[in-house]
Amino acid sequence: MEAFRQEIIVGAVVAYMIFCVLTGLWAMRRTHSSSDFFIAGRGLGPIVVALALFSSTLSGFGFVGGPGLVYSIGVSSFWMVVISSTGYAIGFFLVAKRIRMIAELRDCISLPDIVAARYNSQAVRFMIAITIVLGVMGYLATQILAMAVVMQAILSGTETFANIGLVTCVVISSAVLIFYCVTGGIIASVYTDVVQGAIMMIAGTLILFTAMSVFDGGMQEATSIILADDAETAMPYGAAGMMASLGWFFVFGLGLAGQPHLITKMMMNKNLSDSRSILPMSLFGYVMAALLWISIGIVMRAAVIDGVVDPLALPDDAASVFLSVFANPLLAGVVFAGLFAAIMSTSDAFLNIGTAAIIHDIPKAIRGKSIENELFWARVVTVILAIVAASFALYSHFADATLVAILGAFGWGTFAASIFPVVAVGLNWKGATVAGAVTAIGTALLINFVSQLAGYTFPYGVSGQLVAFATSMVLFIGVSLFTEKPKLDSDIERVMEI
Amino acid sequence: MRSKLIYIIFAVGVLMAAILLAICLAETVPDAGGSAHPEIAGLQVGGDGAARLEHIGTLGFAFQCLLLIQITFLSLLGISERYRTNELLAYMGGSLVFMLIVAWQMYSGHLEYLETGETGYFLGFPSATAWATYGTWLGAIPLILIYSLGFRKYIYTAEDEEKFNVLLAEKSERSEQ
Repeated sequence: MEAFRQEIIVGAVVAYMIFCVLTGLWAMRRTHSSSDFFIAGRGLGPIVVALALFSSTLSGFGFVGGPGLVYSIGVSSFWMVVISSTGYAIGFFLVAKRIRMIAELRDCISLPDIVAARYNSQAVRFMIAITIVLGVMGYLATQILAMAVVMQAILSGTETFANIGLVTCVVISSAVLIFYCVTGGIIASVYTDVVQGAIMMIAGTLILFTAMSVFDGGMQEATSIILADDAETAMPYGAAGMMASLGWFFVFGLGLAGQPHLITKMMMNKNLSDSRSILPMSLFGYVMAALLWISIGIVMRAAVIDGVVDPLALPDDAASVFLSVFANPLLAGVVFAGLFAAIMSTSDAFLNIGTAAIIHDIPKAIRGKSIENELFWARVVTVILAIVAASFALYSHFADATLVAILGAFGWGTFAASIFPVVAVGLNWKGATVAGAVTAIGTALLINFVSQLAGYTFPYGVSGQLVAFATSMVLFIGVSLFTEKPKLDSDIERVMEI
Repeated sequence: MRSKLIYIIFAVGVLMAAILLAICLAETVPDAGGSAHPEIAGLQVGGDGAARLEHIGTLGFAFQCLLLIQITFLSLLGISERYRTNELLAYMGGSLVFMLIVAWQMYSGHLEYLETGETGYFLGFPSATAWATYGTWLGAIPLILIYSLGFRKYIYTAEDEEKFNVLLAEKSERSEQ
């Protein structure tokens, strides 16, 4: 079997991609309107929503950047993962019920629709839509790049495609993604997410057992090796230190409820009461899949320190090297398919919300009405958005070899700081005002972009994302408290009392 | 507390921002955010843990505790005011205490290791790290139980469902006219 390792891996990935294409064709027949395209007509069952929710959370960042970060900085990166239970809990407490009610009451098909209904303001709708487009560009580019890098690693191991270029891999992987997103919209996305989620859970569990068997003493031996080399890396705050870790705790914990691609899925369940079962199911799936993030990173760092494996050219190679060195070919095939699943499940969600922002929300904010024939334009813009993001990914890759992980985290941080206060707090507090919302979004964007683009670093590993998020939270509530209490539409006011 | 929750959330947010500012202004130590591994390219090391915590350890732990407190208050904000009963507050309080205990075990375990250089292991990780990993993961389980098991009592009761159905019926009437 070992002799056919590359063929098995390529076969698993190709089978997975064929499945995505077929799902797109199947979903196309069920997509008749922009509501079907963007929110699946609010007709999904709890298992579908739960799997779609968690598989969209754990992106290529989790499968490529995550293990790379653990390899590079040790336990610091754990904080992005272990906070998931808190993040999901807050997301459901603050968002799930009210977003679903407003969506049904006002026939909303996007997050900016919800915000516009809540604040009765096209300005807030516009700012949220712009935030989504900006965040989507960074995040989607990251996902496409991750997909292409992994595909190149897989195909270059075969004789036929030994010299395949990154651009070709971007084209192939983007083509599959675009096909099923354009044909089947969100319906194709969520049903591929179901399979993608299942693959990711299986992959995460199997990888944990493989990782535990690399050293005779299991995971404890691996962490002991790391501890002996540099104790801080194996201690709770890792190599990056206390404030970097707590920053991720804050941004990834509270920030989950500000991720538009996730909370939009909370609008899609058929019955509002399903939220009670969606929450634990999503969390369980996430935890199973995230085992891969932690276990690969720890074992690869220990293996390199111990001399079992040569130092990696890039931290992001941790997962692929682990699979080629330690995993059975069949398992490697499942995990590589799982990796593509993770990347695609997040990418399709981003394509969906980005497209909604461009063809539905921005025109509505400017002209007061949506464009004609939304479904047609949704498909056109999905293609254009994916092509622009792919070009951005290639440019970033060749002009600036920044870690995939950092780009991914930047996208998350931008959404968290801009959207969490306005949506998660705003949906539960009648006193939130338009001025508060505009100030919070503007400040979050400004601090995030300036600190990222200027490369400014705060002392003790405090991140720009953390500063942006903490500031936007305080300003959102503070400005709202000091501005005139808004007059809400009667139906929205009654929803907020439920 | 029940009706003035947003003021408490605001106060906690301001305190957290103040702590963040104090940390940024604190005396810095070299490589507080980690440095390159001396021998292996691509790896970072933390170096002297005691030095890294010397000026900000207590502030950082206070920030962590306030964050956990904020998480609990925010979760409470998601529950309608009329359902914030003493029973619910007791559950939420219990959940917060559990999370604070986990945070303390992690922080004090880390300090203890820095002093003694010795640590036990639990399920593959040094004790303090095991608290961080498993404890943090499990720390929110009480919140999830409150949400899932208390859904019909605190989140979306039969009365709420009825009110929402009335709203939907009014919407249908409007669209028919």
